[in-house]
Amino acid sequence: MALVCGSASVTFPSSSFPRHSHRNTSSSSSSSLVGLQFPFHKLVSLSLSPSSSSNTNARTLRIHSQQQDSSILPPEQDPRFLCVEPEPRFKGPDIWNKTWYPKAADHVNTEKTWYVVDATDKVLGRLASTIAIHIRGKNLETYTPSVDMGAFVIVVNAEKVAVSGKKRTQKLYRRHSGRPGGMKVETFAQLQNRIPERIIEHAVRGMLPKGRLGRRLFTHLKVYEGPDHPHAAQKPIELPIQDKRIYLQR
Amino acid sequence: MTRIKRGYIARKRRTQIRLFTSSFRGAHSRLTRTISQQKIKALVSANRDRDRKKRGFRGLWIHRINAIIGKNKKKQYNRYSNLLYNMYKGQLLLNRKIVAQMGILKGNCLLMIANEIIT
Repeated sequence: MALVCGSASVTFPSSSFPRHSHRNTSSSSSSSLVGLQFPFHKLVSLSLSPSSSSNTNARTLRIHSQQQDSSILPPEQDPRFLCVEPEPRFKGPDIWNKTWYPKAADHVNTEKTWYVVDATDKVLGRLASTIAIHIRGKNLETYTPSVDMGAFVIVVNAEKVAVSGKKRTQKLYRRHSGRPGGMKVETFAQLQNRIPERIIEHAVRGMLPKGRLGRRLFTHLKVYEGPDHPHAAQKPIELPIQDKRIYLQR
Repeated sequence: MTRIKRGYIARKRRTQIRLFTSSFRGAHSRLTRTISQQKIKALVSANRDRDRKKRGFRGLWIHRINAIIGKNKKKQYNRYSNLLYNMYKGQLLLNRKIVAQMGILKGNCLLMIANEIIT
């Protein structure tokens, strides 16, 4: 308290009347308030302290409200008006009435997110669904069906992906060579022994759109057999999984 | 009856159609009979898709709104359906296009509104 009194007497004359007039003139313009470097809160506490006379108490109440008036910021800095656009609005393209379409700079491949997901003990179809959603970009508000807005996804430990029931021996993967009698059939277990990456690739490819864009999206999926992947330079982050039943229930 | 040749009437009609079809691919811009057919098909598609376009955009806006509302983990029921229900309840008469544009251009504003509205 003594320190506060001392500092106030240094910056202002100790008599009350000149101090109030100084405050009146200073509070009228905000720029002069910024220039002054006296501590507002200390002066308020000083003026409202019980040691000041009742005469100054009446005047200090008026000044307290004036100080609150001066705390109204101009519209550029008021946080309530940050989202209001400046007038006039109609210079330049109409961004509100034309549905947003991405420019080339909005979907550069180098700026896209990279996700990594560990396939150990995750149900195949649910995992593939989440991956396909992130590759296509359907979880983003900038989703556009004709543009590749999605992210890259890395899958590791692909040989440990799980299926429920008897699918391990009963699920068949078929392919045809094009010639008569050229149908080749494999079970899930056989394919997992031979080429484990193909299982996840097959599942995700079935969930991506079929067409030129779909084929491009499929190249954004990277599947690897063991726990490491060569994309550490892209700094992939953990894929956020919403599905509660993605882990195999034993 | 005197003999009357049709002259160039048919050709005049067909050059107009050919002008319409001039940017089509392959035989669809070169062969006379095919040109007439393709112009009809093109106009039919254009007519039908003018109504489809309205549906398509509305679906796109709904999807975009759902995507950005779903990112907001603060509320439990962060879905498009919930947002619309609460908007109607609070008499906030914004259409889906503007809400979707807000989601992209001023995402924070939309999330502020959603936090206020969604119970």
